[in-house]
Amino acid sequence: MPPDTAFTLQELADLADVTPRTVRYYIAQGLLPAPTGSGPGAHYEDAHLDRLRLIKRLQRAHQPLAAIRAQVGGLNDGQVARLADSDHQPPTDSAVDYIRAVMRDEPPVAAPPPPPVPAMATPLPPALPDRSQWERVALTPDIELHIRRPLMRHQNKRVDRLIAIARELLEEETP
Amino acid sequence: MTFRVRTDRRYIRHAYHSNRFVLVEIVAPPARQERPRPPVNLCFVVDRSGSMSGEKLALAKLAVESSVGRLRSDDRFAIVVYDNEVDVVFPSTPATADARRSAMARLAEIDARGSTDLGTGWLSGCRQVGEKLLLDGVNRCLLLTDGLANQGITDHDELVRHAGELRARGVSTTTFGVGADFDEVLLQEMSTAGGGNFYFIAGAAAIADYVTSEVGEALEAVAHDVTLQVTAAPKVQVESLSPFRFERRGGRTEITLGSLVAEQVLQVVLRLSFPLGELGRETVAQVGLSDRDGALEAVAARLAWQYADGQTNDVQERDREVDRAVARVFAARARQEATALNRQGAYPAAAAALSKVAKRIRGYAGSDAELRAVVAELERDASEVAAPMPAMALKQMHFSSYASARMRTVQGRVIRDR
Repeated sequence: MPPDTAFTLQELADLADVTPRTVRYYIAQGLLPAPTGSGPGAHYEDAHLDRLRLIKRLQRAHQPLAAIRAQVGGLNDGQVARLADSDHQPPTDSAVDYIRAVMRDEPPVAAPPPPPVPAMATPLPPALPDRSQWERVALTPDIELHIRRPLMRHQNKRVDRLIAIARELLEEETP
Repeated sequence: MTFRVRTDRRYIRHAYHSNRFVLVEIVAPPARQERPRPPVNLCFVVDRSGSMSGEKLALAKLAVESSVGRLRSDDRFAIVVYDNEVDVVFPSTPATADARRSAMARLAEIDARGSTDLGTGWLSGCRQVGEKLLLDGVNRCLLLTDGLANQGITDHDELVRHAGELRARGVSTTTFGVGADFDEVLLQEMSTAGGGNFYFIAGAAAIADYVTSEVGEALEAVAHDVTLQVTAAPKVQVESLSPFRFERRGGRTEITLGSLVAEQVLQVVLRLSFPLGELGRETVAQVGLSDRDGALEAVAARLAWQYADGQTNDVQERDREVDRAVARVFAARARQEATALNRQGAYPAAAAALSKVAKRIRGYAGSDAELRAVVAELERDASEVAAPMPAMALKQMHFSSYASARMRTVQGRVIRDR
């Protein structure tokens, strides 16, 4: 049993939504550092999870593995964690700038686009595609809701409520 | 410091969606004697609209005075009053004896008038705090009002969104609602998004007690911008049932707990919704705690669930401590829903909101005395909300539900492990 801050191979794969085989392959390819310990006692840290997430993100941008290795290999754990979560950057303007914009009734400065990964050849896909797409939300194994994205903000809120109410209504378990 | 994480059940259904609950128990460390407390940067924002005239405004001024009296000269404070106009009575200044005296003299001249531009008044207060942001202390705007936002920005969602954006930029918001006519849903949500606290003050006589107690908490905070991070598989949905703001960031869910006071006891109830999975497979989640300045030791705990068949799920053991916390938080949520429905005149729906949860809890309460007590109280309240209730009783029910779900006393004070 690994310590509370660490994961087994199976757990790491589960958290990153990849197979254990993929994790082993990435280690062999030098994309991921080896685990701490060996054999059944081998365990992985948060840093492995962040690196796996970043690799997946770059793969979604159709980057070949060799290019990903070249980019990710040179980054430290902190940089990897920031880039893996780069859809959520902290605001860059101050509280005072924000309030000024609100009081002038201007839209506050929009969050900047996620920073590009250093030395990357192809840009990452934009956060919101121009074309719409259908999202399937499984309410139970037998009932689905289909939603065409993107929606307006107020519609989003209503749909979230609808899903919450529907799930509650259909929930098979207590409490 | 204590950090304990447990789940109600360890098996999940392989062929259906399952909800499992996680109870996070935190006891904050005691104050460090060897180190002076970090400074605070506060702004008191006081509603001076017509309805505040007389005793309420006089007691609100007294509350500001006794709070400011507790500050040291390296703390900062500002005072803003608002009706349909906003007046920065005292811009953000170090809390020296001279500054405190002259601020009180200026505040004494303020009287009540006009309507309520809560939005601009509050934003002006946040601006005072934001202009002198402290990197290592509490930066907080304290908003005291007895009315509704009826001038300027009046949109509920917009005010709540601004509170969240300002918290992300370092300024937190605490709200105090006085009497029967303020909007408790707005004030609670502004404080939750704003990373501060919310208080209901029934009688004006208690204003100073509540305000000085909140300032006292800011002075005794041992950790700031405390967050829980939950890492789970991408298809597992994580949400906080306790009234704390949560958001998904990358692959983690982050729950904003705000400041922790020395020896504060806090419980947070989370709901994890699992997708279907392969029989026998395990899935894990890691729950970690962190704060802005690294004042708390880095702690994390791991939980594991296993996909199993219906029979194994049906007969599995439950952790009663988690069941009780979950029941309390569902009861609190149902009471808030019921008070809103009662106010709208939907009396049968208000009663049904409570009966429904009572029935669910009874389904797993067995012979557990505490769970049965939760059920009995819900049933008693169901008959109360089935008929028109006075505004003050509704406010009281709404607030005590909030306070209990945040692990606070009925006066909204923190509970300490002493």
